[in-house]
Amino acid sequence: MAPLLETRDVSVHFGGLAALSDVSFGIEPGERLALIGPNGAGKTTLFNVLTGQLRPSAGEVFFRDRDITHASVFARTHMGLARSFQITSLFPQQTVKVNALIALQGTKRRRYHPFRYLMKDKEMQAAAQELLEAHGLWDLREATVSALAYGLQRKLEIALSLASDPELLLLDEPSCGLTTTESAEITTLIKRLGSKITVLMIAHDMDLVFGVADRVILLHYGKIMCEGTCEEIRANQLVRDIYMGSRHAGPGLGKR
Amino acid sequence: MRRERRSLVEVGLPVLVIAVLVLVLPLFIPAFVSSLVTKMMIYGLFGMSLNIIWGYAGIPSFGHAAFFGAGAYAAGILILRVGVSNFWLNMLLALVATAIIAAILGVPAFRVFGVGAGAANPIYFLLATIAFGELLSRLAIALRPVTGGSTGLSGIPEPDLGLGFEMTSGRYYYLVFVMLAVCIYIMYRIVNSHYGYALRGIHDNERRMQALGYNTWLYKYTSWIVAAVFGGVAGVLFAYYGGTLVPNNLAMVTSDIAFLLVIMGSTTTFFGPLVASVVYVGVEYLASLYLPDRWPLIFGFMFVLTIMFMPDGLGVWILRGWRRLIRGAAA
Amino acid sequence: MNQALVTGLNGLSYAFILFLLAAGFSLTFGVMGVLNLSHGALFVFGTYVGLQVIDSLSYFWLAIILSAAALAVVGFLLYYVCLKRLYNRVPEQAVLTIGLSYVIANVVLWIWGPRAQIAQTPEIFAGALKIGALSFPIYRVFICGVGLLVLGLLWWIQDRTRWGAIIRAGMDNKEMTVSLGVNYGLVSTLVFILGIALAGVAGVLGAPILGVYPSMGDNLILLSLIVVVVGGTGYIQGTMLGALVIGLVDTFGKAYIPDAAMFFAYIIFLAILLVRPSGLVGRKVF
Repeated sequence: MAPLLETRDVSVHFGGLAALSDVSFGIEPGERLALIGPNGAGKTTLFNVLTGQLRPSAGEVFFRDRDITHASVFARTHMGLARSFQITSLFPQQTVKVNALIALQGTKRRRYHPFRYLMKDKEMQAAAQELLEAHGLWDLREATVSALAYGLQRKLEIALSLASDPELLLLDEPSCGLTTTESAEITTLIKRLGSKITVLMIAHDMDLVFGVADRVILLHYGKIMCEGTCEEIRANQLVRDIYMGSRHAGPGLGKR
Repeated sequence: MRRERRSLVEVGLPVLVIAVLVLVLPLFIPAFVSSLVTKMMIYGLFGMSLNIIWGYAGIPSFGHAAFFGAGAYAAGILILRVGVSNFWLNMLLALVATAIIAAILGVPAFRVFGVGAGAANPIYFLLATIAFGELLSRLAIALRPVTGGSTGLSGIPEPDLGLGFEMTSGRYYYLVFVMLAVCIYIMYRIVNSHYGYALRGIHDNERRMQALGYNTWLYKYTSWIVAAVFGGVAGVLFAYYGGTLVPNNLAMVTSDIAFLLVIMGSTTTFFGPLVASVVYVGVEYLASLYLPDRWPLIFGFMFVLTIMFMPDGLGVWILRGWRRLIRGAAA
Repeated sequence: MNQALVTGLNGLSYAFILFLLAAGFSLTFGVMGVLNLSHGALFVFGTYVGLQVIDSLSYFWLAIILSAAALAVVGFLLYYVCLKRLYNRVPEQAVLTIGLSYVIANVVLWIWGPRAQIAQTPEIFAGALKIGALSFPIYRVFICGVGLLVLGLLWWIQDRTRWGAIIRAGMDNKEMTVSLGVNYGLVSTLVFILGIALAGVAGVLGAPILGVYPSMGDNLILLSLIVVVVGGTGYIQGTMLGALVIGLVDTFGKAYIPDAAMFFAYIIFLAILLVRPSGLVGRKVF
C-alpha cells in the first residue's frame, strides 16, 4: 500500500544550524505513528514542514502521492490534513460553541458567505452539537474559552483538529501539561478514533506513546535515529541512552 | 459581549426606539442641532466601518481617512469636474473608486501583516496605514486641477436624488438617516455571517484559522476593502454635508477621529463607535463655542483618558448597564 | 556638478538630522516594542525649549543640553505614567501617543504662539568652508559631524557594551532576558529616555535648517516612520541607512524635480514594503 504521507530527504536549516537533515519516512493509512525524541530534536520543526508553516530547505513532502511541499497551510487542510498545537491554540474570546462552529466551517464553501447568519445555520449548529457532544463539551457550549480549565481547553484543542474530518491527524503533544487522569482520557480518545483516521503524533508521555502507537520513530539532532514497534523501541538501547536518559536527567532546554 | 445570544428585547427594542426618536427629532429641535445629529450619524458610520476591521478582524488600520476622503473626493470630483449630478450614480461611482484604491493599497499593506512562519508585525502595518492616508492627502494637494490643491473643493451642491423634489439640509438629515440604517443593516449581517465569524477567528488566532483551512490573507484583504467601502459611504455623505473638502479629510487628523471613535466606543461592541460619535460631535461643538483654541488639546485628552481610564469603551458600559436594567425588570 | 556636491552636503546634513530624530523612535519600538507616535511632537517641544534658551541666554550648547534634558524628563514621565502599563499592546500605545501629540502640539502653540520661529545659525558656525570654487556652509558640516558622533556612540553601545547585549537579548526573548536576572526594565527605560533626549539634540541642531512651527510634529513623525520602515528596525545602522536614503532623495528631489519631490519618500516607502518588508537592514520579519 502506498503511504498516505511521505517525506523524502527533508532538511531544514536555520542559518548554519541544521534542524532537520535528510528525514525520510512514510505513514500508512490507518496507522498510528509516534514521533519521539528529546527537546530540540526537530519534532516540531518536522511538524511545521508537514503542515506547511515552514518550507523545507531541501526535500519533498507527499500526501496521497501529491507533492505538497509548497502547498499552503490551509490548502493542506482542505486535502485532509489537520493538526493540533502543543501550545493550546484556540479562540479565547469566543464561546466553546463558536470555536466549534468556526472550526467546522473551515473546510466548507460557506465559510465565505458574507450575509447568512452563522448562528441561524441549522446544519452547522447540528454539526457543532455533534462535535462537542463527542468530546463532552456540549454542556459548556456558552462558556468563554479563556475561562475554561486547562484540561478542557486541551480537549477542545483536539476537537477543533477533528472538525475538518481529516484523513491524517497531526497531534503535537496532545497530553502536554495534563494530569495523569486527563492524559489517560486523551489516550482513550485517540484509541477510539476510527481506522479511517491516520494519526501522527509527537509525544513525551510514554504511556500515551506505548498505549496508542503502532510504530515509533526516534528523532535526535534532526535525524531519524531508529524506528520500530513499541516493543522494539522499548528494548532499544539507543533509545534508552538518548531519550530516556535525557528525560530523567531533568528538564531540557527551552523549546523554540 | 458579542458571543451572547442577542434577544429581540436586548438589541431590537433599543435600536427601534432610538431610530424612531432620531426620525421625529427634527420636529422638536432647532436646525443647527439636527445638523449636528447629521454629523453624528456620518461620523458614526465612519467609526463603525473602521470597527469591521479593527474590532472584528483585529486589524488596527490607522489610515482609515484614506477611504473616507477617497469617497468624499471622488464624489466631489464627479459632481464638480465630471458633472454627475445624480446622487445615487455618484455614490455608486465613488464607492467603486474607493474600493479600487483600497484594493491597490491593500496589496503592500497585507504584505507586511501576515502570520507566516515568522511573527506578525502589526507595527509595520500600522505605520504603513498611517502613511497611506498621508500619501493620498499629498496627492490631493498635488493634483490641483482635479482636486483643487491645498484649498480643496468647495461648492458641492445639495444632492439630486432624481425623485423630483428639491433637497434641503432638513431633508438631507433623512437621507443620511436612511443611508446609515441601510449600512448598519448590511454591516450587521456581515459581522454575524459565516464570513464575519471567520474574521473574529482571525482576530483571536490567525495561525489556528489557517490550520483550520481558512485563507486568512484573503479574509483580511477583503475585509479591508469592505471597511473601506463603508468608510467611503460616510465620505460621500460628508462631501454633501459640508459642501467643502480639504486634503486633511484624507490625512491623519481625520483617521485619528475614526479610531478615537472606535476606541472610545469600544472594539467589542457593534454600535460602540456610533455612541462615541454622539459624544465626540457634542464635545467638538461645545469646544467650538467656548474653547476653540484648545480644541486639539481636548481632542488629544479624549484619546489619553479613554486609554488610561476607559479601555473597554463606552459601548461596553452602556451594554452592561442595559443588560442589568432589563434583567432587573425581568426579575 | 559643483551644485550637485553642495546639494549632496545639504542632503547629508538633512539625513543626519533625520537620523537623530528617527534613532530615538526606532530604538524605542525596534528594541522595546513601544510605539511612541508623540516622538515628533516631543521633538518640536524640545526645539522650542532650546530656542527659548538661545533667546534668553544665547548659549547654543546650553540650549542643546537643556532641550535634551527637558525631553528626558518628559520622556521619563511618559514612560512611567502611561506606556509602561501598555506593554505589548501596540494599538493602544499608538492611540495614546497620537492623543498626546495633539496635546503637546497645542501646549506648544499655547506657550509660544502660532508664528513660525526663526532660528539663527549660531555665530561660531556661520560662514562657509571654501574648497576650490565650492563653498560649504560650516553649520551643515558641523551637523554631519555631530550625527556621525552619535551614530558611532550608538553603534558602540549596540555592539560592544553590556547594555547592547542586554538589549539584543531582550529583542530576541524578553521573558528569558528578564529571568536571567538582568535589570531589563532599567536598561529599557534608559534607552527610551536616551531616544527622546536625542530628539531634543536634533531639534536644536535642525532648527536653522528645518524651520520651526508648532504643527511640524506631524510631518516629522511621518518622516521618522518612513525612515524606520525603509531602514528596518532594531539596528542603528538600519536607521542611518534609511535616513541617508530619504534625506538624499528628498533633497535632490527638491533641487531638481520640486513638483514631485514630496512623493519620492512615499514611493520608496511603498517599494520597500512590497519588496523587502523587513527594511534594508532590519531583522527578518517573515
